[in-house]
Amino acid sequence: MNDAPNRTYPDISDILALKAEGRRERARLSYGEKIDMVERMRERLAPFKRAREERRARLKAARDHD
Amino acid sequence: MGMKHTIKVINRMEADGIIGRYAIGGAFAAYYYVEPTVTDDVDILVSLDEASGATKAGLISLAPIFSYLKAAGYEEFRQGGLVIEGWPVQFLPVADDLDGEALVQANEVDVQISESETVKTRVMRPEHIVATCLRVRRTKDFLRINQFLEEDAVDLELLCNVLDRHDLKPAWRSFCRRAGMTDPYEVGSKT
Repeated sequence: MNDAPNRTYPDISDILALKAEGRRERARLSYGEKIDMVERMRERLAPFKRAREERRARLKAARDHD
Repeated sequence: MGMKHTIKVINRMEADGIIGRYAIGGAFAAYYYVEPTVTDDVDILVSLDEASGATKAGLISLAPIFSYLKAAGYEEFRQGGLVIEGWPVQFLPVADDLDGEALVQANEVDVQISESETVKTRVMRPEHIVATCLRVRRTKDFLRINQFLEEDAVDLELLCNVLDRHDLKPAWRSFCRRAGMTDPYEVGSKT
Protein backbone atom coordinates (compact mmCIF):
# COMPACT_ATOMS: atom_id res chain seq x y z
CA MET A 1 0.00 0.00 0.00
CA ASN A 2 1.24 3.53 -0.76
CA ASP A 3 0.42 4.81 2.73
CA ALA A 4 3.03 2.53 4.32
CA PRO A 5 6.10 2.95 2.12
CA ASN A 6 8.65 2.27 4.86
CA ARG A 7 7.22 -1.02 6.05
CA THR A 8 9.90 -3.67 6.31
CA TYR A 9 9.37 -7.38 5.92
CA PRO A 10 11.38 -10.24 7.39
CA ASP A 11 13.92 -11.92 5.17
CA ILE A 12 12.55 -15.38 4.44
CA SER A 13 15.26 -16.45 2.01
CA ASP A 14 16.60 -18.97 4.57
CA ILE A 15 13.15 -20.54 4.88
CA LEU A 16 12.77 -20.73 1.11
CA ALA A 17 16.25 -22.23 0.77
CA LEU A 18 15.39 -24.88 3.36
CA LYS A 19 12.17 -25.71 1.53
CA ALA A 20 14.07 -26.02 -1.76
CA GLU A 21 16.63 -28.31 -0.10
CA GLY A 22 13.73 -30.43 1.25
CA ARG A 23 12.34 -30.74 -2.29
CA ARG A 24 15.75 -31.81 -3.58
CA GLU A 25 16.12 -34.36 -0.77
CA ARG A 26 12.71 -35.86 -1.55
CA ALA A 27 13.58 -35.97 -5.25
CA ARG A 28 16.71 -37.99 -4.35
CA LEU A 29 14.82 -40.71 -2.46
CA SER A 30 14.71 -44.18 -3.99
CA TYR A 31 11.69 -45.12 -6.09
CA GLY A 32 10.46 -47.47 -3.34
CA GLU A 33 10.72 -44.72 -0.72
CA LYS A 34 8.82 -42.33 -2.98
CA ILE A 35 6.05 -44.89 -3.51
CA ASP A 36 5.75 -45.33 0.28
CA MET A 37 5.62 -41.55 0.65
CA VAL A 38 2.82 -41.19 -1.91
CA GLU A 39 0.80 -43.91 -0.17
CA ARG A 40 1.14 -42.14 3.19
CA MET A 41 0.24 -38.84 1.48
CA ARG A 42 -2.87 -40.42 -0.03
CA GLU A 43 -4.01 -41.63 3.40
CA ARG A 44 -3.46 -38.22 5.00
CA LEU A 45 -5.24 -36.41 2.17
CA ALA A 46 -8.26 -38.74 2.11
CA PRO A 47 -10.35 -36.59 4.53
CA PHE A 48 -9.62 -33.46 2.47
CA LYS A 49 -10.58 -35.27 -0.70
CA ARG A 50 -13.85 -36.44 0.85
CA ALA A 51 -14.59 -32.87 2.01
CA ARG A 52 -13.88 -31.54 -1.51
CA GLU A 53 -16.17 -34.10 -3.10
CA GLU A 54 -18.95 -33.32 -0.58
CA ARG A 55 -18.56 -29.60 -1.30
CA ARG A 56 -18.77 -30.21 -5.04
CA ALA A 57 -21.88 -32.35 -4.55
CA ARG A 58 -23.50 -29.59 -2.46
CA LEU A 59 -22.67 -26.95 -5.10
CA LYS A 60 -24.04 -29.15 -7.87
CA ALA A 61 -27.21 -29.82 -5.91
CA ALA A 62 -27.65 -26.07 -5.32
CA ARG A 63 -27.13 -25.34 -9.04
CA ASP A 64 -29.56 -28.07 -10.05
CA HIS A 65 -32.10 -26.70 -7.57
CA ASP A 66 -31.80 -23.19 -9.12
CA MET B 1 -1.67 -54.18 -0.27
CA GLY B 2 -0.12 -51.14 -1.99
CA MET B 3 1.52 -49.95 -5.18
CA LYS B 4 4.44 -52.39 -4.92
CA HIS B 5 1.95 -55.28 -4.89
CA THR B 6 0.09 -53.64 -7.77
CA ILE B 7 3.33 -53.87 -9.74
CA LYS B 8 3.66 -57.57 -8.85
CA VAL B 9 0.15 -58.25 -10.21
CA ILE B 10 0.94 -56.39 -13.45
CA ASN B 11 4.21 -58.30 -13.80
CA ARG B 12 2.25 -61.54 -13.45
CA MET B 13 -0.14 -60.37 -16.19
CA GLU B 14 2.83 -59.77 -18.47
CA ALA B 15 4.34 -63.17 -17.62
CA ASP B 16 0.99 -64.86 -18.27
CA GLY B 17 0.73 -63.17 -21.69
CA ILE B 18 -2.41 -61.18 -20.83
CA ILE B 19 -0.58 -57.99 -21.68
CA GLY B 20 2.53 -57.39 -23.73
CA ARG B 21 5.39 -55.16 -22.62
CA TYR B 22 4.30 -52.47 -20.20
CA ALA B 23 5.70 -49.32 -18.59
CA ILE B 24 4.50 -47.12 -15.79
CA GLY B 25 3.49 -43.66 -17.05
CA GLY B 26 1.88 -40.54 -15.57
CA ALA B 27 2.51 -39.34 -12.03
CA PHE B 28 4.01 -42.62 -10.80
CA ALA B 29 6.56 -42.54 -13.62
CA ALA B 30 7.40 -38.95 -12.75
CA TYR B 31 8.13 -39.98 -9.14
CA TYR B 32 11.15 -41.91 -10.34
CA TYR B 33 12.78 -38.66 -11.46
CA VAL B 34 11.30 -35.80 -9.42
CA GLU B 35 9.77 -34.98 -6.04
CA PRO B 36 6.54 -36.96 -5.55
CA THR B 37 3.18 -35.22 -5.56
CA VAL B 38 -0.16 -36.78 -4.76
CA THR B 39 -2.07 -38.83 -7.30
CA ASP B 40 -5.16 -41.02 -7.30
CA ASP B 41 -4.34 -43.60 -9.91
CA VAL B 42 -1.68 -45.51 -11.80
CA ASP B 43 -1.26 -45.21 -15.57
CA ILE B 44 0.12 -48.28 -17.29
CA LEU B 45 1.17 -47.88 -20.92
CA VAL B 46 0.72 -51.29 -22.43
CA SER B 47 1.27 -53.17 -25.64
CA LEU B 48 -1.62 -55.41 -26.56
CA ASP B 49 -0.74 -57.98 -29.14
CA GLU B 50 -2.98 -60.37 -31.02
CA ALA B 51 -1.81 -63.35 -28.95
CA SER B 52 -3.64 -61.99 -25.92
CA GLY B 53 -6.88 -61.73 -27.90
CA ALA B 54 -7.02 -58.04 -27.12
CA THR B 55 -6.84 -56.77 -30.69
CA LYS B 56 -9.05 -57.68 -33.57
CA ALA B 57 -9.16 -55.95 -36.94
CA GLY B 58 -7.56 -52.81 -35.51
CA LEU B 59 -9.97 -52.57 -32.60
CA ILE B 60 -8.68 -52.78 -29.07
CA SER B 61 -10.54 -54.52 -26.30
CA LEU B 62 -9.50 -54.51 -22.67
CA ALA B 63 -11.94 -57.35 -21.96
CA PRO B 64 -9.23 -60.04 -21.66
CA ILE B 65 -7.43 -57.90 -19.08
CA PHE B 66 -10.58 -57.29 -17.06
CA SER B 67 -11.68 -60.90 -17.16
CA TYR B 68 -8.21 -62.08 -16.05
CA LEU B 69 -8.24 -59.62 -13.17
CA LYS B 70 -11.80 -60.47 -12.21
CA ALA B 71 -10.77 -64.11 -11.93
CA ALA B 72 -7.94 -62.97 -9.66
CA GLY B 73 -10.42 -61.15 -7.43
CA TYR B 74 -10.02 -57.60 -8.75
CA GLU B 75 -13.32 -56.23 -10.02
CA GLU B 76 -13.87 -52.85 -8.32
CA PHE B 77 -13.74 -49.86 -10.66
CA ARG B 78 -12.81 -46.48 -9.21
CA GLN B 79 -11.95 -43.21 -10.97
CA GLY B 80 -12.01 -44.93 -14.34
CA GLY B 81 -9.51 -47.57 -13.28
CA LEU B 82 -9.70 -51.14 -12.06
CA VAL B 83 -8.53 -51.29 -8.45
CA ILE B 84 -5.51 -53.59 -8.01
CA GLU B 85 -4.11 -53.85 -4.49
CA GLY B 86 -5.68 -50.55 -3.47
CA TRP B 87 -4.74 -48.45 -6.52
CA PRO B 88 -7.03 -47.70 -9.48
CA VAL B 89 -5.04 -48.78 -12.54
CA GLN B 90 -5.73 -47.40 -16.01
CA PHE B 91 -4.40 -49.55 -18.84
CA LEU B 92 -3.53 -47.26 -21.74
CA PRO B 93 -2.84 -49.16 -24.97
CA VAL B 94 -0.12 -47.78 -27.21
CA ALA B 95 -2.00 -45.27 -29.36
CA ASP B 96 0.70 -43.61 -31.47
CA ASP B 97 4.40 -43.62 -32.33
CA LEU B 98 5.30 -41.58 -29.24
CA ASP B 99 3.68 -44.19 -26.98
CA GLY B 100 5.41 -46.98 -28.90
CA GLU B 101 8.83 -45.35 -28.53
CA ALA B 102 8.19 -44.58 -24.84
CA LEU B 103 7.34 -48.21 -24.20
CA VAL B 104 10.36 -49.60 -26.05
CA GLN B 105 12.82 -47.20 -24.38
CA ALA B 106 11.36 -47.32 -20.84
CA ASN B 107 13.85 -47.65 -18.00
CA GLU B 108 14.10 -50.95 -16.14
CA VAL B 109 13.74 -50.26 -12.42
CA ASP B 110 14.06 -52.36 -9.27
CA VAL B 111 11.65 -51.40 -6.49
CA GLN B 112 12.45 -52.58 -2.99
CA ILE B 113 9.44 -54.19 -1.31
CA SER B 114 11.19 -55.35 1.85
CA GLU B 115 14.74 -55.89 3.12
CA SER B 116 15.00 -59.09 1.12
CA GLU B 117 12.59 -58.59 -1.79
CA THR B 118 12.62 -56.34 -4.83
CA VAL B 119 10.23 -56.20 -7.74
CA LYS B 120 11.21 -55.24 -11.28
CA THR B 121 9.21 -52.80 -13.35
CA ARG B 122 9.61 -50.31 -16.18
CA VAL B 123 9.19 -46.56 -16.00
CA MET B 124 8.85 -44.21 -18.96
CA ARG B 125 11.94 -42.07 -19.63
CA PRO B 126 11.72 -38.41 -18.53
CA GLU B 127 11.83 -37.12 -22.12
CA HIS B 128 8.81 -39.25 -23.01
CA ILE B 129 6.96 -38.15 -19.87
CA VAL B 130 7.50 -34.50 -20.85
CA ALA B 131 6.56 -35.15 -24.49
CA THR B 132 3.38 -36.92 -23.39
CA CYS B 133 2.54 -33.96 -21.14
CA LEU B 134 2.93 -31.67 -24.17
CA ARG B 135 0.56 -33.88 -26.12
CA VAL B 136 -2.09 -34.05 -23.38
CA ARG B 137 -1.80 -30.35 -22.39
CA ARG B 138 -3.81 -30.12 -19.18
CA THR B 139 -2.79 -27.60 -16.53
CA LYS B 140 -1.30 -30.36 -14.39
CA ASP B 141 0.74 -31.54 -17.37
CA PHE B 142 2.31 -28.09 -17.73
CA LEU B 143 3.08 -28.09 -14.00
CA ARG B 144 4.79 -31.46 -14.39
CA ILE B 145 6.92 -30.18 -17.27
CA ASN B 146 7.98 -27.23 -15.12
CA GLN B 147 8.90 -29.61 -12.32
CA PHE B 148 11.12 -31.68 -14.62
CA LEU B 149 12.84 -28.55 -15.93
CA GLU B 150 13.34 -26.99 -12.48
CA GLU B 151 14.77 -30.20 -11.07
CA ASP B 152 17.04 -30.76 -14.11
CA ALA B 153 15.40 -34.15 -14.47
CA VAL B 154 15.23 -34.12 -18.25
CA ASP B 155 18.03 -34.22 -20.84
CA LEU B 156 17.19 -31.28 -23.12
CA GLU B 157 19.10 -32.69 -26.09
CA LEU B 158 17.27 -36.00 -25.89
CA LEU B 159 13.99 -34.13 -25.34
CA CYS B 160 14.59 -32.04 -28.48
CA ASN B 161 15.12 -35.22 -30.49
CA VAL B 162 11.86 -36.68 -29.17
CA LEU B 163 10.00 -33.44 -29.94
CA ASP B 164 11.42 -33.45 -33.47
CA ARG B 165 10.48 -37.04 -34.14
CA HIS B 166 6.90 -36.61 -32.95
CA ASP B 167 6.07 -33.14 -34.32
CA LEU B 168 5.77 -31.61 -30.89
CA LYS B 169 7.93 -28.52 -31.49
CA PRO B 170 4.94 -26.18 -31.88
CA ALA B 171 3.47 -27.45 -28.60
CA TRP B 172 6.86 -27.00 -26.94
CA ARG B 173 7.19 -23.40 -28.19
CA SER B 174 3.69 -22.68 -26.98
CA PHE B 175 4.57 -24.11 -23.55
CA CYS B 176 7.73 -21.95 -23.36
CA ARG B 177 5.76 -18.81 -24.24
CA ARG B 178 3.10 -19.66 -21.68
CA ALA B 179 5.73 -20.36 -18.98
CA GLY B 180 7.62 -17.18 -19.87
CA MET B 181 10.86 -19.09 -20.38
CA THR B 182 13.58 -18.97 -23.01
CA ASP B 183 13.15 -21.89 -25.34
CA PRO B 184 16.19 -24.14 -24.72
CA TYR B 185 15.43 -25.90 -27.97
CA GLU B 186 16.00 -22.70 -29.94
CA VAL B 187 19.17 -22.03 -27.96
CA GLY B 188 20.44 -25.49 -28.87
CA SER B 189 19.51 -25.21 -32.54
CA LYS B 190 21.52 -21.97 -33.01
CA THR B 191 24.80 -23.41 -31.73
